[in-house]
Amino acid sequence: MSNYSNKIVIIIHTSEIVLKGMSEILEGSLADEIVALRRIDEIINYSELKGDLIIIASSSELGKNLPFLEQVFQNSTNLKFVSFYTEQPETYSDVAISLNDAPSLICYKINEVFNSAILGDDEADSELTRRELEVLQLITRGLSNKEIADHLYVSIHTVISHRKNISEKTGIKSASGLTMYAILKKIVDVNEINTSDLV
Amino acid sequence: MELFNENNKLAAVIHKDHSLLPVINRLGVRLGFGDKTIRNICDENGIDPAFFVEIINVFHYESYFPEQKLMNLSVVYVVDYLIKTHEYYRNYLIPEIDRLLHLFLESCEGQCPESEMILNFYERLQEECLAHFKTEEEEEFPFILALNQVLKGNTDSNEFKDQFSAFKMRNFEEDHGNIDDKMFDLENIIIKYLPPSYNQNIGNSLLSNLFMFEKDLKNHSRIEDNILLPKVDQLIKTLAGHE
Repeated sequence: MSNYSNKIVIIIHTSEIVLKGMSEILEGSLADEIVALRRIDEIINYSELKGDLIIIASSSELGKNLPFLEQVFQNSTNLKFVSFYTEQPETYSDVAISLNDAPSLICYKINEVFNSAILGDDEADSELTRRELEVLQLITRGLSNKEIADHLYVSIHTVISHRKNISEKTGIKSASGLTMYAILKKIVDVNEINTSDLV
Repeated sequence: MELFNENNKLAAVIHKDHSLLPVINRLGVRLGFGDKTIRNICDENGIDPAFFVEIINVFHYESYFPEQKLMNLSVVYVVDYLIKTHEYYRNYLIPEIDRLLHLFLESCEGQCPESEMILNFYERLQEECLAHFKTEEEEEFPFILALNQVLKGNTDSNEFKDQFSAFKMRNFEEDHGNIDDKMFDLENIIIKYLPPSYNQNIGNSLLSNLFMFEKDLKNHSRIEDNILLPKVDQLIKTLAGHE
């Protein structure tokens, strides 16, 4: 594709564990390049980066340095921010990652931010909620509605209603079709699924 | 909505809806029919014109379903039409989709880990379709035709009962729902979620064929669920009434 732009994630965090872990996890996302920085001012060395850019840092760090970051990357095509929380945030947000998020969920969120940079906001209502993502992941593991209900401590009707919403948003109805969808969108890791067992 | 009728020229009907071409083939008509009307063509080919007209109308107008008229159609014609439909899927449409899908997946440039997954999904779907056609042809259709023979007085009812004592009509609807859903999923995966690294022209041909198959299957299911099954119920009741 001629209009394809480079996808870059920059992670800023003081913890080497977080930087190493996130870099490895994001290998599974749409990102073409991952940059890990201990300090926010090191970013000045990367001001030449061009493409769709996502900066991941704690919300306080982002809050303090927003004008600086925007200035550094004023020539980049697309700049987005994702907050990183070491504790579970009160409300679910697609533009926030928490320390406890599953690797597949982290990749999914980052991919959604990249995709929204390309598609604009029209697609917003087709995004899956956190609960729908959980249900989808359980579907890909071959669980029945009853098993999913037990697993999530909800009623079977709730599960059926989530499934209906997932199918409406994705346009995919069968369990095996949803598994393909989840793998293509990197919501689950292909290695976790036996694809020869799809139907 | 203007329904097709026996006095229409078949060529004009085809110009109006060319997706009827495989349908008229199945009904026993081949290309090169000049300016003849449906009635003329049916007379020449020994086809019941009323049956021909109903089948093309049901196919063309998705909301058209004249239950009473359809219930009066001969069960022998309906079964014959369904078997020919299976043959068309097996001998032409499925191999054609196979060919295009392989070409399409092979056209991917670079790393394409999803290709194998899509092929697997399709192969399972195809197996499901073929198994469904096979049980219909080997189990349900012979039962229906034999039942019809008994009611016509051509076979003894005790002989029929011996032969089919353990037989139970399956409800096809669940199978139909599953197959329809997966067809739809395969189309959407290709349209919405596949990376753009595949040959687009082959992809378009593949999708055209998948849409054609989907439409044809829906029509096929509609005939089975809403004509064939009620007809069988009717025949079974008539048989019970005879005794």
